[in-house]
Amino acid sequence: MLVVLASPLLAGVPIPVGTEVRILLHQLSFGLLFPQPCPSGTSPLQCTAWTEILWYAVLPEVLLALLVGAALGLSGAALQGTFRNPLADPYLLGISSGGTLGAAFLFIFRLGVAQANLVLPLLAFIGSLGTGVVILLASRYLGGSVETLLLVGVALANVLSAILSVVLLFNPVGSIQVSFWLLGGLGGATWDRDGLVLGGLLMAGAPLLLLGRELNLLQLGGDVAQSLGVDARRVRNRLLLLASVATSIAVAFTGIIGFVGLISPHVVRRVWSSDYRAVLPGSALVGAAFLLLAHDLSVVAVPTVVLPVGLFTAFVGAPFFFLLLFRHRRGVYMGGGA
Amino acid sequence: MSASRPVEVEDLSVRFGARSALSRVSWTASAGELVALAGPNGSGKSTLLRACLGLLAPTQGTVRLFGTDCGQLSIRERARRVAWVPQEEAPRDNLRLIEYVLFGRYAHLPPFTGESADDRRTAERALAEAGLADRAESGILELSGGERQRLLLARALAQETPLLLLDEPTAHLDIGHQLDLFERVRRQVRDRGLCAIAAMHDLNLAARFADRILVLSHGRLVSDGPPESVLSVPLLREVWGVETELRRDPHSHRPYLLPLRAAAEGRLSSPADRRLGPVHVVGGGGSASPVLRRLVDEGFHVTAGALPLLDTDADTAAELGIPFSAEVPFAPIGELARVRTQELLSTARAVVIAPVPTGPGNLVNLELVEALGHPERVLWLNRRADLDYTGGRANELAERLLTRGATEVNDLDALVDQLRRVIPAASFPAAVALS
Repeated sequence: MLVVLASPLLAGVPIPVGTEVRILLHQLSFGLLFPQPCPSGTSPLQCTAWTEILWYAVLPEVLLALLVGAALGLSGAALQGTFRNPLADPYLLGISSGGTLGAAFLFIFRLGVAQANLVLPLLAFIGSLGTGVVILLASRYLGGSVETLLLVGVALANVLSAILSVVLLFNPVGSIQVSFWLLGGLGGATWDRDGLVLGGLLMAGAPLLLLGRELNLLQLGGDVAQSLGVDARRVRNRLLLLASVATSIAVAFTGIIGFVGLISPHVVRRVWSSDYRAVLPGSALVGAAFLLLAHDLSVVAVPTVVLPVGLFTAFVGAPFFFLLLFRHRRGVYMGGGA
Repeated sequence: MSASRPVEVEDLSVRFGARSALSRVSWTASAGELVALAGPNGSGKSTLLRACLGLLAPTQGTVRLFGTDCGQLSIRERARRVAWVPQEEAPRDNLRLIEYVLFGRYAHLPPFTGESADDRRTAERALAEAGLADRAESGILELSGGERQRLLLARALAQETPLLLLDEPTAHLDIGHQLDLFERVRRQVRDRGLCAIAAMHDLNLAARFADRILVLSHGRLVSDGPPESVLSVPLLREVWGVETELRRDPHSHRPYLLPLRAAAEGRLSSPADRRLGPVHVVGGGGSASPVLRRLVDEGFHVTAGALPLLDTDADTAAELGIPFSAEVPFAPIGELARVRTQELLSTARAVVIAPVPTGPGNLVNLELVEALGHPERVLWLNRRADLDYTGGRANELAERLLTRGATEVNDLDALVDQLRRVIPAASFPAAVALS
């Protein structure tokens, strides 16, 4: 994990590792430790530049990767558990379509492009969460079975995609921006944004982590869970709402990053336990580590160019996942962690 | 809570759209009672169980659990009163048995806390009661089908509820595991005073283990009582559409049924009047039993008599639901039995005489047959002159009948063939004649 943490620091600009650590500690301790973080012989200007780069460019991105990875991992685990389907992922309910449409509005109508820093996430967030809530309400009105929920989700996602296509058809410029956004990226990370993501993640994630036992029981089927004392419908709605919030936060700040939410729960189940009290926090950790790794690779893969991180989650994730499938047959524990 | 019964169902109806799954069912179950819920597929067994579990709401009427309306109990409270053993469960994750059984403790846990040492002890005890104590740490995917079903029982027992509902828990099990599971349930009912209600397809299993059998048909309660009073040949024909033979299990003294075949389409919904006959059988001492069984099998409407009570043939007739005239054991046929026999004979379209030893006490049976005046409708099965203990009067009577048109037959097949020929064609019901 530490290696993963350290790697991006080496990425964009070559900074000696020792110096890097010292700069970090200097900043973290508000200047108390290592008053002179840079080795003697480095010009003060360079030292300042390194500090700035680390503190204001690299570190927020690292933190964003960790937070978003955790949100996606957690949301994926919750949805796989709720739907009892190993193929469920955070975008299952069409949340991504809603987010994309929200973001597209910004690109197309150029709403406050100048101060786009928070408008884009806000629109995407509203689009995503709005979609999630609409689906939940609609399915409740229609009877509330899992199948209804999925069908409503698929239907709504298609409608939203259709609207998006129509809108983009008349806005070629906007469509390029939207497709970049769709690939997902951690660019534009700032401490402020990280703070917002952290806040949202705590709000949605903490209650989610408390539902592990209920998720275990839901795996036996709604009726059995209910006969054991779980209010299956209420727990399911709560899970979906919280997972929607977690996903929406991720979508708002980083676009659509695939694969993290899908495979993190599987990794935990394979190497650790299928008890949801372990799968939920485990998926958050694995998701965080995984997205950071993908982020690092996206930075170093092609010098001077930062590729969209969404590409790397698939490139790295898929082979790793295959390896895991082959190595760990059912019920075999190998120990260790990601 | 007036001495609250575990389950009180009052005027319960459940409707799915236009289809009525249960209509106006009322019954109660007591503590210390094992109730079997029987009925053909689609008769409403599962619906009734699910209504008791609160998994579906009644369209009309109420289900009360220990005095409280099921719908007013919270899901958690309900789970502390009633536990469920489903027909099967297909777990995907290889949890340990003890973890699985601990799920049963959920309704007893305060929110956001783990299981206590007490919960663990309860779970371990439940595993022991299900005969899985030594497997507590194994993975559930390693269990056989029978063990898995016992695991579900253990989970339900860990719930520590006074009421246990089982939905065909042995549907997929071999006979050994079937007996084992119900013996365990039986023990819980006896030792703990639980009330257990099990939907069951195997009526012999139900007759053997249940204190009471409830029979549902098309969503209605058609019979409710101890196995020996509920299970009868006509009921089985009416409700399940099967021809059966009822015996008595010599060990448990419970009724034991032998399914013969599905009732023919025409007979399925039709009562006795559309069957072939009636055929009256004269027998005694067990000589007529094979004849009675075979004729019922073949779909004839059969009567018999006069027979002494407690005689093998009388028992067989009672089992098969055959009307017969009776006399007290070891007594000559008296006036009452004579009149009753005459009545039966007068409606008979054919008479079968089984190879019964004839003495002064029962010669009157043969005399009544002769007096009927239709020797051409009399079939004599395996007639033996040496069974005449009347000093020749029986044999003389037989000779007379045979010379006037009665037929001797040597086996049951020939008897059935001959009967179909003798009984006038006009009396064949159309449905049977066409099939």
